[in-house]
Amino acid sequence: MAGVRLERVAKSFGSVRVIDGLDLSVENGELLVLVGPSGCGKSTVLRMISGLEDVTEGRIVIGEQDVTHVAPSKRQVAMVFQSYALFPHMTVAENIGFGLTLARTPRDEIGQRVEDVARVLQIEALLDRKPRQLSGGQRQRVAIGRSIIRNPKVFLFDEPLSNLDAALRIRMRLEIARLHQRLGATMIYVTHDQTEAMTLADRIAVINAGSIEQLGTPMELYERPANMFVAGFIGAPSMNFVPAAPDFSGAEPVAVCGDARIRLGAASTPADLATLGIRPEHLSPSRVEDGDFRARVEIVEELGAESLVYLQTGLMEDALTMRVIAGTDLNPGNSFGVRIDRNCLHQFDSGGKVIRGPSRH
Amino acid sequence: MAEFGGTGRPGHGSGTVAHAPKPFDPWPAAIFVMLLCLAVLFLAPTLGVLLSSVKTTREIAFGELWSIPARIYLGNFAEVISNPAVHRYFLNTFLVTVPATTLSIAFGVLAGYVFAKLPFRGGNLLFLAIVSGMFFPPQVILIPLFRLFNGLGLIDTLWPIIFIHTAMGIPICTLLMRNFFATVPGALREAAILEGANEWQVLTRIALPLSLPALAVLATLQFTWIWNDFLWPLIFTQSDEKRTIMLGIVNLKGQYSVAWGVQGALSLIASVPTLIVFLFFQRYFIKGMTMGAVKG
Repeated sequence: MAGVRLERVAKSFGSVRVIDGLDLSVENGELLVLVGPSGCGKSTVLRMISGLEDVTEGRIVIGEQDVTHVAPSKRQVAMVFQSYALFPHMTVAENIGFGLTLARTPRDEIGQRVEDVARVLQIEALLDRKPRQLSGGQRQRVAIGRSIIRNPKVFLFDEPLSNLDAALRIRMRLEIARLHQRLGATMIYVTHDQTEAMTLADRIAVINAGSIEQLGTPMELYERPANMFVAGFIGAPSMNFVPAAPDFSGAEPVAVCGDARIRLGAASTPADLATLGIRPEHLSPSRVEDGDFRARVEIVEELGAESLVYLQTGLMEDALTMRVIAGTDLNPGNSFGVRIDRNCLHQFDSGGKVIRGPSRH
Repeated sequence: MAEFGGTGRPGHGSGTVAHAPKPFDPWPAAIFVMLLCLAVLFLAPTLGVLLSSVKTTREIAFGELWSIPARIYLGNFAEVISNPAVHRYFLNTFLVTVPATTLSIAFGVLAGYVFAKLPFRGGNLLFLAIVSGMFFPPQVILIPLFRLFNGLGLIDTLWPIIFIHTAMGIPICTLLMRNFFATVPGALREAAILEGANEWQVLTRIALPLSLPALAVLATLQFTWIWNDFLWPLIFTQSDEKRTIMLGIVNLKGQYSVAWGVQGALSLIASVPTLIVFLFFQRYFIKGMTMGAVKG
């Protein structure tokens, strides 16, 4: 096992710069998730670490070795592809043992190690099958098996679960988490799914337009996002962003949001406030006279244990999302007051940077 | 509805919609008749050869080319099979066809892999240049090639035929293999490289096993073209010892009359190897070799 370090790594395709001076350090044994929207460059970062993509500038270090110009096969990394990339003309056993066969490992040893891996992944019964005879989940296990058999220093996962259906995705997510616990290996995992990122990661790097917006533990990113991009990307449903302007004319400063005036307390109303960020769980229904603003229910989504309520308000044109526990008696057309948990407000300036985070979570 | 309801067929009573009889569409029948005519036209020469091969020269001389023979005469086949010249024709044709087929496919595979999987600056232009080689009519290069091989002292050997068929096969082999390799997912190559494979191993262990259908098509086409070629052996060989089978068929004519029966028999025997090659490779003409490689 080994850590991975990216130092001022940049990547250009022709005149288009997709990664711009990226610094990133992955600790030994850590599971780091690179998350970001499609086209943000996260897969390119992974491919540069694997060696499948050349680095335009900067250097990549695995363990203590500078591997920037080292061939992919010599980097001791293994990669699980989004498309599985199983060799269709080989059996499961041949797929898993392919790397060992190339390394001219004795046949007996290959057989033994393939069986060991198959046992770990519970695919012993499938060893003689061809990939086309496997289900999506089984194929993904075989792809993981092929990656773990060579005991690589670093595991790279490129959106490995995105071709699976929702139920299988959750199961495989759990299995990858277990695998990480068992192997204690350094893993770099790329996904565009923030739920996957939150559930799997030791740390998450949120990438946007080729650079890291924020790096931290899942809860750090959720509770203290550095900017509106991270705040909007992490958490489902997304944080509500309400345009706001500070008003210091009265006795107590307030944030003016549409036709509502929200008291934030004198100490916590910065002059350059432009947007309030409110997580859906930090809104709650109340009597009209107790609420910070009035709202009317547009749509209610029942999710079982909880419900998402979409509210029409005077704060802004778009609907606000409120998360309430199931059984809360709210129906489309209902009007009531809504209270904001002031201690959990995120305040952003006009550039989208956080200027004041929540005082508690 | 009353009329239809009274047919007494269960399940077709009232409540079901009665369909008007379909108007007669003449097109399928017309197309069928047209295809049948084409098939007969296509098969007629083969049938003629088959009929003449089992008749005596006397029967053919009486002009009964298309008649069904009263008895099957196998003397023509016996004569052909026992003729040592025919053995030599066969050997010469194999000596040309096998290496030229193998080499043209081998070069096509290598070039096709590079064009499909290892893009480089100017690659597309070079690919077009190679493929455009298919469009040169042989007549244009015939005289320069004759002068070239004459200068090299290779006239009346099999070498020029091997060289030319190899060279002329490269464009079609490159085109077909490049297009087939392009359908092999790039992720397979990358996965193999990360497992420690070099490009040669990616080609031989991953790309080629997945390309058996394309290889089978090429092997059949190339083998048949080269085996059946008449022009190049005619130009570059002179002595009977170096003739290939297609020239041999012509050579078998008698001094004063055409031995139709013997020629018919040799024509049939000469087509057996191509038939065997086709039957051997046709099992690989299957689709879906890459199924299960990627996605669900």
